[in-house]
Amino acid sequence: MLNDITLINQCQNGNSKAFEELLNRYYDTIYRFAYRWCGDQHNAQDITQSACLKLAKSLSTFDKRSSFTSWLYRLVINCAKDFYKSPTQHNVREQYDPEAEQISADDHTRRLYAQQVLEHIDTLSPDLKDTLILIHGTGLSHQAAAIQLGIKESTVSWRIHEARKILKQTFSSSTLANDIEAGATL
Amino acid sequence: MNDQFNNDNNHDKIDEILNQEIPSADSNAQKIAINSALSAFTKEHTVTSHQGSSESTRPIANEGALSSTKSIWRSLMKFLNSLNNNKAFAGVAVGVACLSVVSILPSTFSSQQNAIDVYNKSKSNSAIGQIADSDAKQLIVAGIENRVELESQITNLEEIVVTTHRQSDFIQDAPVAIELNKVEHPYARKTKKVQSMREPSASFDMGFSLSDQEISPQIYETEEYANAPINKIKLTSESPVSTFSIDVDTASYSLIRNQLNSGYLPPSDAVRVEEMINYFDYAYPLPTSESAPFKATTQVLDSPWNKDKKLVHIGIQGYDIDTSEKPDSNLVFLLDVSGSMGQANKLPLVKQSIGLLLSTLKADDKVSIVVYAGAAGVVLKPTKAQNKDEILAALNRLQAGGSTAGGAGIELAYQLAQKNFIEGGVNRIILATDGDFNVGQSSNDELKKLVERKRKNGVMLSVLGFGRGNYQDDMMQTLAQNGNGVAAYIDSLSEAKKVLVDEASSTLFTIAKDVKLQLEFNPEVVSEYRLVGYETRQLQREDFNNDKVDAGDIGSGHSVTAIYEIGLSGSESNTIAPLRYTTKQNDNSSPSGEIGFLKIRYKLPKESTSKLIETPIKMAKTDTSADTQFSIAVASFGQKLSGDKYNPELSYSDIAVLAKRHLGNDPYGHKAEFIQLVEMANLLNKQ
Repeated sequence: MLNDITLINQCQNGNSKAFEELLNRYYDTIYRFAYRWCGDQHNAQDITQSACLKLAKSLSTFDKRSSFTSWLYRLVINCAKDFYKSPTQHNVREQYDPEAEQISADDHTRRLYAQQVLEHIDTLSPDLKDTLILIHGTGLSHQAAAIQLGIKESTVSWRIHEARKILKQTFSSSTLANDIEAGATL
Repeated sequence: MNDQFNNDNNHDKIDEILNQEIPSADSNAQKIAINSALSAFTKEHTVTSHQGSSESTRPIANEGALSSTKSIWRSLMKFLNSLNNNKAFAGVAVGVACLSVVSILPSTFSSQQNAIDVYNKSKSNSAIGQIADSDAKQLIVAGIENRVELESQITNLEEIVVTTHRQSDFIQDAPVAIELNKVEHPYARKTKKVQSMREPSASFDMGFSLSDQEISPQIYETEEYANAPINKIKLTSESPVSTFSIDVDTASYSLIRNQLNSGYLPPSDAVRVEEMINYFDYAYPLPTSESAPFKATTQVLDSPWNKDKKLVHIGIQGYDIDTSEKPDSNLVFLLDVSGSMGQANKLPLVKQSIGLLLSTLKADDKVSIVVYAGAAGVVLKPTKAQNKDEILAALNRLQAGGSTAGGAGIELAYQLAQKNFIEGGVNRIILATDGDFNVGQSSNDELKKLVERKRKNGVMLSVLGFGRGNYQDDMMQTLAQNGNGVAAYIDSLSEAKKVLVDEASSTLFTIAKDVKLQLEFNPEVVSEYRLVGYETRQLQREDFNNDKVDAGDIGSGHSVTAIYEIGLSGSESNTIAPLRYTTKQNDNSSPSGEIGFLKIRYKLPKESTSKLIETPIKMAKTDTSADTQFSIAVASFGQKLSGDKYNPELSYSDIAVLAKRHLGNDPYGHKAEFIQLVEMANLLNKQ
């Protein structure tokens, strides 16, 4: 099996076989990112599809300065945001599905909260971010993440702990709740 | 509200977000996403061709400027499909039966639980639900499990439908058009939502309308092909015996022709070499006596694509039943009239094709027509072929509309065939569809079992595939292979004429069933061999003598060709190098000069024990006929399209030259058309 960087290089040279391999390798990861964002399978699949399309168009801009997973994470989050912004999606939802997925105000707020947390992950320092995404985004074990990052397992655990601490501190401020209230009325 | 997010509470929330359980994604959604991203990728890299040297890839369907048309085409198809779901049910009811209830199963739902859900929801919303509560439920279950005898259900339903429906929808003489029901179906909307959202990139392009004719078939990622990896070279010393079932299907060739004529090289999965070879009629020597239904002719000749190898060519010619001896036929046409069949190359072509077939039938042969879409129903009770006008009138009343409920349709067709069973005659269902076959549990496996069971009762099933875009090649293969029938793909009236008129007798009359070939190679002469094609027809060595193992059938006048590529012992250019430590066996028991020993097992149509034909294959120099050479040209073309691994020395133009040189007798121009296709492939390959 080729490693990711070689595979990405081949993709950037226009090798569609390599790109297919990359998609197969990362579909689940993308889907999991998306699912965390929207919290339901159908929307997650739709977001994943648009993220795959986006990946096809913008993989050539990936400059390998950050880790691919983290780069991909941002791409998926952006797609997810676009997905919710898209007027078509709103129309579709309101027009065709008035009662089925009636989201209660609480659910809605919780969802927005989750999205802010997920967005904030993107602003963490690269090390913390990479590790957190590998563990909670792609679902790797601490051990597997350690191997992939070339660090000790204990370091992985420490970074996860750190990242969580930062997130929890950030999101304990009351300003956030206000933001969410504002967001909910959008 | 604010309190909710404060401190302690907050900590849990973060963990909740990070550790949330994630159900796995739908594999279909994954396939769609990957395919659309792939075509976007290839578009990106072929249109702008930046990044310097791009690796050469096969110019298959999803490349180049085609892909934008493709997404439009696909979104349109989805749009059309979703519209069809709006037609809550299709009121087809002339004759015995109407399973309207089945229409409440939208095509996207397949599992039993879903079906029941749909049923429960629709119960409160649609008119159908109120009609026949218990019957409806039973029917759905019957559709899913194929267990309940449908006949009694049908009678029940018929009564209920007739008494509860207003107007003349179900009166005998009412036009057999699919009614557009005004009741807005809750699931139609739901489906539309899901479907349009599957296609985010194209969801803005919905506002246009194109007629079918304006859309040429382009790229169909929704098609599924049946295939297996290309046969490998085998060492005679390790496995001297090769066993496979014959295959008289031709669908793969027509599909490939359609793809080439649309301007792209077919995906290698779509290529089944044996079906390409067997598309053509070769005048192999006919059986001399009627005791054996066919004759096998073997030849050994040089391989055109590898000068160091030889080919063993096996031509099997079936006995041609004389017109006067033709058995009576009981044909049930099972026609897909779902919305997607509306295009000119589908339902209209089906009607024309059946019209052609009628002309080949005997006056007393019986024809019935069952349709399925949102509902399944009989539109023509068994009618003698001499009443051609009546049959044609029934055909002409058909219109496409509604979603697909093939499961109920196929049950109904089998029932009708069974009811009018002709002992010793041809009892056959001919399914015409564009591929979507939404049975209760729409898996190929379930359907396979049903078809197998019915075959044992003497009703065969043939499949005629129409149209592109949704063509489920693997499903069609499953049905035909297990129904002891032919799978043909019909893309034009001339193809319909070939399959249903010129080859009508081979399509309809089986002269031998479960035909298996076993070839044992002589390791003294042959060191390695490879069977060209028949990947999906491989059998285990022990299956050969096991009469319970199903295999392909030969129709009246059919010819079947199998080609082996062999490397002779002692040749230095063999692909697999000899081993250092294998002891050379020096028994001189095997007759010298024999390449191998061919065994063919078959059953006569009405028998259940097999007969055996055996013949040694000799190395003798024979004059090969033009037909043999032509079949080899087709084989090289097929191999080249399927990936070229074992076909190193012939280019497309070489193949065209080879075919031209051996055109032979070509009364219908099929061989000339083949040469056109090779030249087309040559051009496309250069692009």
